[in-house]
Amino acid sequence: MTEIWDLYKNGGWEVPFLTFCVYLFVIASFILYLVIVASRNSKIKKERLTKEYSTVIDKVMSDIIFDDVPFSTIKKDKNFLVLFDTSFFREVLTESLINLHKNYEGVYAEKLEQFYKDSGLIKASFRKLKSLKWEVKCKGITELVEFNIEEAFDQIIVYSQARNKTLKIVALNGCIKLEGTQSIKYLVDHSDPIDDWMQLNIIGAFKKHDVGDTEGIEHLLQSQNTTVITLGLKLIKELKLSQKVPHVAQLADQTTNVIIKYEAQSILQTLTA
Amino acid sequence: MTFFNPEITWFLDVYILLILGYAILIMSSYLALAYISTKELRRYLKRNSFVDYDVLLTSEFAPKLSLIAPAYNEGLTIEENVKSLLSLNYNNYQVIVVNDGSKDNSMEILTKTYDLVLTDLDFHPQIETKKIKGVYTSKNAAFKKLIVVDKENGGKADALNVGLNIAQNPYVVCIDVDCILDKDSLLKLAKPFLEACGKRIIATGGVVRIANQCVIKNGRLVEVHVPDVMLPRIQVLEYLRAFLLGRMAWGKLDGLLLISGAFGAFDKEIAILSGGYSTKTVGEDMELIVRMRRYMLDNKLPYSVSYIPDPLCWTEAPEEFKIFKKQRSRWMRGTIETLSIHKRMFLNPKYKLLGMLSVPYWTLFEFLAPAIEFIGLVITVVFIVLGLLNWHFFFLLLLFVYSFAVLFSVIALYSEEKTYHKYPKQADFFKLLMAAFIEPFYFHPLTVYAALIGYKEKVMGTKGWGEMTRKGFTKK
Repeated sequence: MTEIWDLYKNGGWEVPFLTFCVYLFVIASFILYLVIVASRNSKIKKERLTKEYSTVIDKVMSDIIFDDVPFSTIKKDKNFLVLFDTSFFREVLTESLINLHKNYEGVYAEKLEQFYKDSGLIKASFRKLKSLKWEVKCKGITELVEFNIEEAFDQIIVYSQARNKTLKIVALNGCIKLEGTQSIKYLVDHSDPIDDWMQLNIIGAFKKHDVGDTEGIEHLLQSQNTTVITLGLKLIKELKLSQKVPHVAQLADQTTNVIIKYEAQSILQTLTA
Repeated sequence: MTFFNPEITWFLDVYILLILGYAILIMSSYLALAYISTKELRRYLKRNSFVDYDVLLTSEFAPKLSLIAPAYNEGLTIEENVKSLLSLNYNNYQVIVVNDGSKDNSMEILTKTYDLVLTDLDFHPQIETKKIKGVYTSKNAAFKKLIVVDKENGGKADALNVGLNIAQNPYVVCIDVDCILDKDSLLKLAKPFLEACGKRIIATGGVVRIANQCVIKNGRLVEVHVPDVMLPRIQVLEYLRAFLLGRMAWGKLDGLLLISGAFGAFDKEIAILSGGYSTKTVGEDMELIVRMRRYMLDNKLPYSVSYIPDPLCWTEAPEEFKIFKKQRSRWMRGTIETLSIHKRMFLNPKYKLLGMLSVPYWTLFEFLAPAIEFIGLVITVVFIVLGLLNWHFFFLLLLFVYSFAVLFSVIALYSEEKTYHKYPKQADFFKLLMAAFIEPFYFHPLTVYAALIGYKEKVMGTKGWGEMTRKGFTKK
């Protein structure tokens, strides 16, 4: 430190400083170059592995869906077991399973759900819920919800109050898929404002998962949180719930909030037209 | 440095300190911005991996958008470009093509292709513009989203103002008609308008990338390539640095001063209340954002400007120096004009981060940088002539600047690699890496020269854009 100060005091600091910076920049550029090359190589390797794994996974999936082969038989295959021990293989397998599950319904979908449980992938998903990283939690929720694991509801609904907005949306959407209007009661007491994007996602979840039972949606209109009331009104409008007209009329009569009143009246007009 | 008399030594010492001080300031600000950008970009991508944009596609509550595409002499490509605008993934939108008094057959092509008929559209212009000759809509129900306005020539800003007057939706998306938009670009641009909580989102901007030598099919980008020609190739790198390492950070700090004129969305009400696009500047895109922000701050209205880092819009970069020079001198004129119109914001605490950081940053590092570089060059030449130059120190300084320039480009390549990975081919990566080494000697002097031309044009009172010819995209 004293040497640097002396250098500065004597006026000869520029050359050592510039030389140091040049070395620093060159070394940093070289390291970054190596990181880029390593990252590209890793991507290429992952692509190659994904292709290889896909062939094995396609065969396994076909056996499960069309030939009723249980997991206990599949795991007798040593090659499969070796692959199943690698985390990347399990990742690709879960992705494939989810994609297939999205495309199938009925018995085929149930077979995939069973495989998800038997293979232990479900445990990995539950473990993800306990991760400290919100994005890992989201992944876990997405997986559990896709396979309709209703036992996960209590653990997932907790995250509807999370600080992280994305986690909150993923958790709420998941709960709507798992338990439909059961998740409404958690929304009524929601203290944070629900922005338009979140509202759109919740409405989207109701539409996408075709939640037939709309019992309880009217409770949203009684919330202390005005954004929750707006969400309730939007839901009633988008799902065309004309049976909720008396609740909307009551809200329009009683509310002192001008915007809510206007929104309620507008929806009344639409629904009674 | 101690061989000369005390006055010369003092002058040299001060000069070196100033040069080094400026270089260190600019480099550290670049690195700080790059750090913020990289961090924010990673957060954005994580968040985005769980976003379901389909909810916007299927909901009647999705923001209603009006796309405004000004067109001047675009006859060669207008048919295909409008078709691609009409087929974007979005439901609540209309397309307003403003024919700004084209001298070619743009209007005839539009009329014939889209079965246009004169219509009596009811609108109340709030911004003064050149005379509108006619407003047209299509007889064909397939093109019901399309409105074509034929008007007298008044420049891009005037055409955009006509669009603002006619737009029926609360949000307007201003684009260059010759840009290639990603199919989901409107979904991504509209989302931030829904996320405002307690403050109004007045604008959102997207990333523009270079499409030279990329393959376009039916108005969509299907293959990404790095251009072989050096000038556009270096611009690929330049855009990566600007959008991935610069604007992302300004977006995070909420100090963004520029949303590219090629692709940006605005809150129509605020844009109109601020006075619309200024026809007095060639930097109308930057000027509008600064004015809208100023309007919100003057009226103490909470607001924000959002930035989307996804590559949503692809444009053609100039391949010839003549065209490049025109573009960059115009950009410099636009910067000077905007900073001059809003000079009261400079270091004015009333304008918060904008006045205390964004405007001074642009003044010091965007507007003044070419002038400072030029002065440095002149002084170096004088030093050489007078035999005052310490060659060892000169080369060391040169190496210092050069190595930083290369490092910063490599950071941009790293950021691209870790995020969008749009250039997966090894050959493309090495082309860009090579460009990083060549740029400081080839491209940078050209940009400084073009900026100096911009200063000169501003002093001489040059107005307007000048002819901007384009080569056209590679089609499949």
